[in-house]
Amino acid sequence: MCILNLKLLSKTILIFLFCLISTVSYAKKDVYLSLSARSTRASIGLADFIPVNATPEEMTLSKNIKNVLESDLLLSRHFNVALADKTSYKFDLDSQFAYWEPKGVAVLLLGSISVEKETFINLEVKLYDVESKEIIWEDVYRDKITDYRYTAHKINDEIVRRFTGEEGLACTKIVFTNDSTKFKEIYLVDYDGYNLKRLTKDNRLNILPKWIPDTPQIMYTSYLYNNPDLFVIDILKNKRRALSTIQGLNSPAAFSPDRKYIAATLSRGVYPNLYIMDKKGVILRRLTEGKHIDTSPAYSPNGREIAFISDRAGYPQLYIMDTDGVNLRRISTKGNCDSPTWSPQGDKIAFTMKYDDNFDIFLYNIPRKRIIRLTEGQGSNENPSWSQDGRFIVFSSTRSGKSEIYIMGMDGSETRKLVDMSGNSFTPSWSQSL
Amino acid sequence: MKKSLLVSFLFLCLIVSACAKKQTVTPEDVNDSTATEETNSFAQEPSIRGVEVENNIALETVNFAFDSSAISDEVLVTLKNNVKYLKDNPKVNVVIEGHCDERGTTEYNLALGQKRAVKVKEIYVQLGIKAKRIVTMSYGKEMPIDKRHNEAAWAKNRRAETKAIKK
Repeated sequence: MCILNLKLLSKTILIFLFCLISTVSYAKKDVYLSLSARSTRASIGLADFIPVNATPEEMTLSKNIKNVLESDLLLSRHFNVALADKTSYKFDLDSQFAYWEPKGVAVLLLGSISVEKETFINLEVKLYDVESKEIIWEDVYRDKITDYRYTAHKINDEIVRRFTGEEGLACTKIVFTNDSTKFKEIYLVDYDGYNLKRLTKDNRLNILPKWIPDTPQIMYTSYLYNNPDLFVIDILKNKRRALSTIQGLNSPAAFSPDRKYIAATLSRGVYPNLYIMDKKGVILRRLTEGKHIDTSPAYSPNGREIAFISDRAGYPQLYIMDTDGVNLRRISTKGNCDSPTWSPQGDKIAFTMKYDDNFDIFLYNIPRKRIIRLTEGQGSNENPSWSQDGRFIVFSSTRSGKSEIYIMGMDGSETRKLVDMSGNSFTPSWSQSL
Repeated sequence: MKKSLLVSFLFLCLIVSACAKKQTVTPEDVNDSTATEETNSFAQEPSIRGVEVENNIALETVNFAFDSSAISDEVLVTLKNNVKYLKDNPKVNVVIEGHCDERGTTEYNLALGQKRAVKVKEIYVQLGIKAKRIVTMSYGKEMPIDKRHNEAAWAKNRRAETKAIKK
């Protein structure tokens, strides 16, 4: 690895060499799965990215991207992060290892950054195994300067993927409602609380936003036309359309994992029952009937079952049935339940239950047939939504005195507030990688 | 007589055209073997999309107990008064808006508001009002009339409002 004496080489030769080395190292080691084998947090050293032209802008970006990446790695809870004691740009690989080895890091991320045409970032990164001094992975990222947070997010997700085989969460977003306009509008924010953006500006009620699986689209319920109708908004095209506008309730609803069907709560002049519609909102069949409430449908990840809420027992309880309406079974036996959502692995259902005074988040472990409690004694906690790796849950909580969005581990640990904003926030839904 | 026939004919046309536009009811669905005559007529609600509604002083709001859609005796008296108005004004169509207090989840309250609206609709129909004059909808807990967080406010917010649909 002595060929990497960066000091002596011009940039062009470097890039050529990177390409050469990368093909070799990819063949050698693709996924570095030490983490899942040991199930402990690996310690990763994060060196300062070298500003190639040493401009103030490059130095600032170097620091900013490193900070975002550090935050991502820590939020992933897969890594412990070690930083340099003070900012230093070490060009020589041997001195890098000499500096980082005593810090006990297992892997070391090195990189160099240059700004091109005052618009783009070029960031070259290399991840080293400290013990063998071999390159585990390297890549070149080119993004708009304004998107530098996403550069860091992409690097994090690649590192997570290589260490765990799982999809990282840094390129995910969370959608929710907020009432600070006195109405309810839909907002979008990065998983780390940055880039808050308002999606609807109707001065109407827009509620229950939910990501449509594997798309940049959000289904939500809007009173734009004086009726709780289903709408879809595409966050990339910034376009929206009406999906289901049957008189009365069209909501709550959920797309099937393959996006071919929608399970929806329709009233059609009578009581709220569950129906299956096609993806265009045409009713295919009725799933439930009766003079009671059946609502809050959630598809299992394999698309074969639907969890839902019914008050047929006299109060809202959690039920599961097959998607053809048969094989109905009651899951909960007490409390007032709502907002079921299936874990991505399909083995758990998170839901809200009012057990004593407040609502709390509970988990139903399907193979063990056991219900466990995740939140307790901190206001009302509602509307859980899973991260795509099934390790975290986003939910709303009134623990601060108003309703806000929080993220916790799926065991209820290490809760953090997602974003500070005025008004009350409700009903979060967590995207897959966008 | 002729005029009222014409009106009901136009009204029927309106329902038919509304259904046609609304990508909704498939033939097999209408022939749903489980649906009774009554629920079929209940399902023929006029659309109130883009139509204004007005608070008619003669039509009173009724309240409900927590997490309940049961009609109390007191509520029944009020609903009978509303029915009298509707009989005296046969051309007035109404929307019943079901509402809930802030306690409980967004989704369940959406369904509970609908259940309250349907309970009121059932009373109106039992007392002789044609189901097709009545629209039901739910605002869940989203439109409290009293925004305070106490029992007095919650009692006011658990309600079903009957509003005239402006022609």
